[in-house]
Parts: sequence; structure tokens; C-alpha cells
Amino acid sequence: MAAVRLVKNSVTPLAFLTRRLAAPEIRLVVAYHEKVLDHYDNPRNVGSLNKHSPNVGTGLVGAPACGDVMKLQVEVDEQGKIVDARFKTFGCGSAIASSSLVTEWIKGKSIEEALTIKNTHIAKELSLPPVKLHCSMLAEDAVKAALADYRLKQQAMEVTAAKAAN
Amino acid sequence: MPALNMLRCSCTFYQNVYSTVMLKVFTKRTCQKILPTSSSVVLNGAFTFNSKYVMGIRGFSTITSKPVGCFKASKTISHLIPSRTLSTVSELKSCWKCGSAIQLVPVFFCPACKVIQAPDEHATHFAIMDCDKSFSLDTQKLQQRYLYLQRSLHPDNFSQKPQKEQEYSEIQSALVNKAYRTLLKPLSRGLYMLELEGMGLEEGTGIGPDSEFLLEIMEINERLAETQVKEDANNIGISIQGRLQDLTEKINSSFQKGDTQSAKMLIIQMKYFANIQEKVKEKLSEMLV
Repeated sequence: MAAVRLVKNSVTPLAFLTRRLAAPEIRLVVAYHEKVLDHYDNPRNVGSLNKHSPNVGTGLVGAPACGDVMKLQVEVDEQGKIVDARFKTFGCGSAIASSSLVTEWIKGKSIEEALTIKNTHIAKELSLPPVKLHCSMLAEDAVKAALADYRLKQQAMEVTAAKAAN
Repeated sequence: MPALNMLRCSCTFYQNVYSTVMLKVFTKRTCQKILPTSSSVVLNGAFTFNSKYVMGIRGFSTITSKPVGCFKASKTISHLIPSRTLSTVSELKSCWKCGSAIQLVPVFFCPACKVIQAPDEHATHFAIMDCDKSFSLDTQKLQQRYLYLQRSLHPDNFSQKPQKEQEYSEIQSALVNKAYRTLLKPLSRGLYMLELEGMGLEEGTGIGPDSEFLLEIMEINERLAETQVKEDANNIGISIQGRLQDLTEKINSSFQKGDTQSAKMLIIQMKYFANIQEKVKEKLSEMLV
């Protein structure tokens, strides 16, 4: 009996050395998928286009919950085809990868085709975990914002052209 | 019922109630009303209260005023419990070890037998750290309270105590850690206060700041990314610090006025600046190498 108590007493100091005060909630630590890492290490289409150019649409979106900010620019030709796309994202790896991927996708597409890109496609391609789905949503919103900005510019130009004609 | 100082009651049946239940105590002379209590506590479990010459107790729905539940005195405690008035009690608890009533919430140790209690799931961080629920906080006082609590709650003090107490100690200590960390920094404090009001930030773009603000954030980020020298990065850090302090004051006045909506907008702005601040730190630490 005494031997058991001795062992118990010698074990307890070790027990509370290793005792950690884990917070009541569990934190999931998931590694980034290799595709996300690829976009992070070798980002495609980082940069800017001339935002004053009439063929360039600029989309600027932010995610309040995580404080990520994303700028996406598209250059559209006379036939309504996206000939160039650039992005700049300040945020987590998933946000950077999502915007990088979407600029790759929209190049060479028409405006209508580009508008059909959904965040679910992006998330699937990058194997984004549920907690990072909002990053793909941000990328989708950035594309839509850029194309909407381009449309607005075109409409404004048409108005001024019509006025000039009259 | 005879003259009593403490009455322990339980409810033997109840209908579904969608409003709070108000308890009425019938004494020899007057019908004494007790404040509306949490229905779940009163209807599902035993509770105690302090009253003399109790004749009976009834529960009434606060909306329909119909009687609810059937209350019976299951155990009477005749000795005097060190009293605190019942006026602000919302949940009546009792110690798991000695059974005496616990009226102060949140409670860490039983006032009678001094044994550690189970953590209160409903206690806010502010309640745990004994601070007023306000954005302006004395961080000195917060720290003192934190050290005071951990001195008695930390699991190292419970290594010789029974298993149940050790478990309670671990959970209580972790909760105090969490409360301290959340309330210490203005951003997390503000976000927590929004959550308490049910106005937490949703994931996704949602309602955010305008494009002018986002453009500014973008420009600062770009400038930071281009800095080559420590001094430049440091200067950006200092200007961000100034913006954060300015926002802290504005958020404080918004909360004081009860304007949670504008506080939310300002807190979102603070989040963006806090992110930049993190990036400044990273950049500076890279430059050291």
C-alpha cells in the first residue's frame, strides 16, 4: 500500500508539469493544400493595370470578419473578351490562392462566361476547408465587382459619346 | 407552513412556457412577489429562497398570468444562511458539496464550505473579470483581477484534491484565461461586445466599409510591402498605431451612446488596421534577419 502511495506521490508532480490548460474550445489546425501553397509561392498575375484606361475594370473588395482586402483588375477588348487580368490580395494564403486562380480562369473568357464562375468551383479546385470558403466567395465578388466597374465605365462613355453626337 | 428562513422548493410539473415565470410567495400577511426568474432554472430544478412565514408558493407566467407548475417544499433549511438580498439573483444555485445556496454569480468557491464550484456557462467575460460591461476598461485592474483569480483557481493548487475539483479547476482557469485575453485588447473586446449584442461579424463580404477606405488599406499594404529599410516600416507602424488609438476613442464614444451600429463599422475598420499592424511586425522581424 505504501509503495503504491509512493509511486502516486512521485507521479503527480510530473502530471501537473505536463498538464496544459487547454481552452474549452478545440482549435483545428489544418495544413494548406499543396495547390494553395503553389499559388502562394508562385502567384500568377500579380500586379496592376492602368485603372484610368477605359478598357480596364477595377474591383476592390474586403472581408470584414478576417480583414482581408482584394483588388482585381480586368482588361476587356472591343469584342467583350477579357484579355488580361491582374490581382493584389492582402490576406491569408487561401485568399491569395483564390484570387490568383480566378485571374487565371477569366483570362480569355467573355464577360458573360466570367460572371458564371462560382466560389464553389474555386473552393473545389483548391480543396479549401469549410473555414476558408469565404475566401473563394471574396474572389467571386472581386470578379463581379471588376466587371461591374467595367460596365459602368462603358455606359458612362456611351452617354458622353451620345451627348457629343447631339 | 411554519416560519422559515430558507425554503427549498422544486417544481413537480409544468406546462411549456414561452415567457419567464414569476414566483409569488404567499406569506401570513402579504403576497410577496419575487423577481421574474429563469423559467428553466425554476421549472427544471430545485431552488432556494429566503423568506419568513411562508404559506405557499406559486408560479405564474409573466405574459398570461396563468399559474404554471406545481411547487412543493421538498426540504426546509432552518439555519440562517449568511444573507445577501435576493434582489438581483437571476439563477439560484447551490453548492454541489454542502448544498448551501449560492447567490452571487459567477461564483468560483462556495461561500460556506470553500470548495471550488462548476463553471457558469452563462457568465460573460465581463462578469468573470468583475468589470462593467463597457468598452472602456482599466487594464491594470483587469490584470490584477486576473492574477488574483489564477492564484486560487490554477490547477497547480489542486493536485492533491479529488478528481472532480481538479476538473473544475482546469475549466475555471481556462475560462479566466480566455476572458482575460479577450478583454485585454480593444479589438477583441469590441468584437466580443458586438457578439453579446447579437451583432457579431459574419464571414464573407457582408456589410463592410466603403471603397475609399478599402483603397486606403490597399495603398498602405502596398507601401509596406515595398519598404526596404526598417525605418520606413517602423514609420508605417507608428501611423497605424495612431489610427488605432483614434478608432479606440471613437468606438468608446459610440458604445457609450449606445450606437452599436456605428461601433460595429468602426470595429471593422480597426480589424483592417490591426491586420496591417501584424504585417508591420512581421516585416520588421524579417528585416532584423
